[in-house]
Amino acid sequence: LLSRGLTTVLVACVGLFVASLLFASSSLSKGVLLTMLPFAAALAIASLGQTLVVMQGGIDLSIAGGLSLYVVILTHYPNGENSRLLPAVGIAFLAAVGAGLLNGFLIGRMRLNPIVATLGTNALLYGAVFWYTGGIPRTTTARLASLGGGTWLGIPAPVYFAVVTTIAVTVVVKLTSVGRRFEGVGANETAARTAGIRVKRHRTSAYVWAQILYCLAAVMHAGIVNQPTSHEGDNYLLPSVAAVVLGGTSLLGGRGNLVATALAALFLSQLDQFVLALGVSYAARQLVQAAALAVGVAIYTVNWRGLVQRLRSRRPASMAPT
Amino acid sequence: MTKRRGGALAFALLCGVVLVTAATSSAKTTARPSWCGPKKISLGLTDGFGGNSWRLVTTASARAEAAKCPSVTSLTYADGQGNTQKAISDIQGMVAKGINALVVFPDAGKAILPALRSAYKAGVVTVPYRVTPGGKAGVDYNVFVDTPFAQAGENWGRWIKKVLPNGGNVLMLSGPKGNSQGVDENKGLHKILDPGGKYKFIGEQPFEVTNWDPALSQKVLSADIAKYPKIDVIVSDFGPSLVGALGEFKKSGRKIPAMATSDGNVLGCYWKKNVAANPTFKLFTVSTQNDHARLAIDYAVAVATGGKKPASPHFPSLVFEDSTTGKPNPVECRPTLPGDIYLSAQLPAAAQAKLVKK
Repeated sequence: LLSRGLTTVLVACVGLFVASLLFASSSLSKGVLLTMLPFAAALAIASLGQTLVVMQGGIDLSIAGGLSLYVVILTHYPNGENSRLLPAVGIAFLAAVGAGLLNGFLIGRMRLNPIVATLGTNALLYGAVFWYTGGIPRTTTARLASLGGGTWLGIPAPVYFAVVTTIAVTVVVKLTSVGRRFEGVGANETAARTAGIRVKRHRTSAYVWAQILYCLAAVMHAGIVNQPTSHEGDNYLLPSVAAVVLGGTSLLGGRGNLVATALAALFLSQLDQFVLALGVSYAARQLVQAAALAVGVAIYTVNWRGLVQRLRSRRPASMAPT
Repeated sequence: MTKRRGGALAFALLCGVVLVTAATSSAKTTARPSWCGPKKISLGLTDGFGGNSWRLVTTASARAEAAKCPSVTSLTYADGQGNTQKAISDIQGMVAKGINALVVFPDAGKAILPALRSAYKAGVVTVPYRVTPGGKAGVDYNVFVDTPFAQAGENWGRWIKKVLPNGGNVLMLSGPKGNSQGVDENKGLHKILDPGGKYKFIGEQPFEVTNWDPALSQKVLSADIAKYPKIDVIVSDFGPSLVGALGEFKKSGRKIPAMATSDGNVLGCYWKKNVAANPTFKLFTVSTQNDHARLAIDYAVAVATGGKKPASPHFPSLVFEDSTTGKPNPVECRPTLPGDIYLSAQLPAAAQAKLVKK
């Protein structure tokens, strides 16, 4: 059950929390944890969506525009009125399905390159954001704020959503036949097609479910941030990809480590607070986050054993008399 | 008559009083302002980025100001949408169309300078304002209508000295790393607070970087609350963006400290709601300066139409609210109007609400 990705992320998480305790204990104070955990939960949910896409050998750059759009729908449509919150959530999820279908059509049917297609969709979604809002932020409704900022039994409410979502997505992908077929398409398209699996439909569904998960993350995010701007999704683009990579899901597609992705989101969020608590400058904080991604990619893609062997075999050769 | 109205306008600009609201509405019927000369002109207004409520109110203020002068026959507006390339071609396009005067918010700074210079050389009265484009007045443009951001820092500093006479820990938050506004404000703050050595600046220096982003503000503030057991005053140059983050104090079981910042309806309403539970939450704001655009318009129109130039090309930092003295204004909140309007602006609150609710 413990995949390489999950082991790596678990070790990294434990290491980070120990380091936090030793070097920056203020990052583990109650106030900071209550701030960090909701953001981590929202990032975890969004990263699960990104994982589904990456499992199909794709990548979803429209997460920024999508999440931004859902956040503004959730704050602009109700405009402070609690009674209009539920319809807003409905509209946001409909928009998410629409954006996902567009991505799925472009990539699954038209066979466009995922980077190009989702970049285009991203621009479209941002266009929708500015058309709808004129770039003006609105305050979150009180009900949504109590969901995003509230605690149940002392634990921030979004954490429950993240845990339940992670379990649900994992069960569907790992334990149902639909999920197995989904993984199969990502791992080997030709083999899947030969086996009679509808490749296009599975590929499209990855993008649709991804947007639905972004939308759920947006519900959390809009609640956590009381006055969200019109470009909140930007905060999710790099971290969501980083969480997928750190979780050990191959960018080439195939098996996905969903639990590991969710834990990686926790790792990245705590890393944020850890460097903040260390009191290093803003520039250094950016470097640390970039380094985390680079290390994550390196752990899984560099053939460490081969590298060590090559270094070993080279050393005696260079020492040999010529 | 002309003189009296001009005097009233100057007074309003200096004190930031609502007085001019009356003058605005009666402008059409009364004599023209002194900066409005007899020559007919077409006026252009370009923004580097127009997509937030502050910009909407500022642009509307500029329009209202231009409407006071009957010599301005048309006003064309263009929004650069945060795209430097577009901002440059907006300026060039307006020059090509043959406008006589141009007021520019050069968000991209020095990158806009060549476009300003070519407009100026083409004989267009060119007035950049608020963000420095570099260059020289009289060579690259007519005049740069600036605002000394250090003044805001000095205003905050003087108030901090008053509410914390025995010294204390000062935490300053601003936008992106190294932004000149934050740097200058910080200098003004140091100028007032450093003598005597009673005030300690905590957090990253010169200021904590928030990119004026509410999510990042929240993370930064919660980290600082945990790190510093004693924060006596928060200084921020964009108060409304901090409203969501102030909840971090409650999460940590602490009281909201004193705050020196810029105004916004959402902030005033937040203060009213939370001051009872947080007796240490004293609030002081400087005007967020939507009316800076009015001074730039006055200048450009005066030069182009042959009117009388305003006394100074510098727009001052004006104190707006002080919860401890109620002077010049007590903290204001219009709960029925949107949060993102600015009660310090001359443009009436209801007109602003209409703009941002569109």
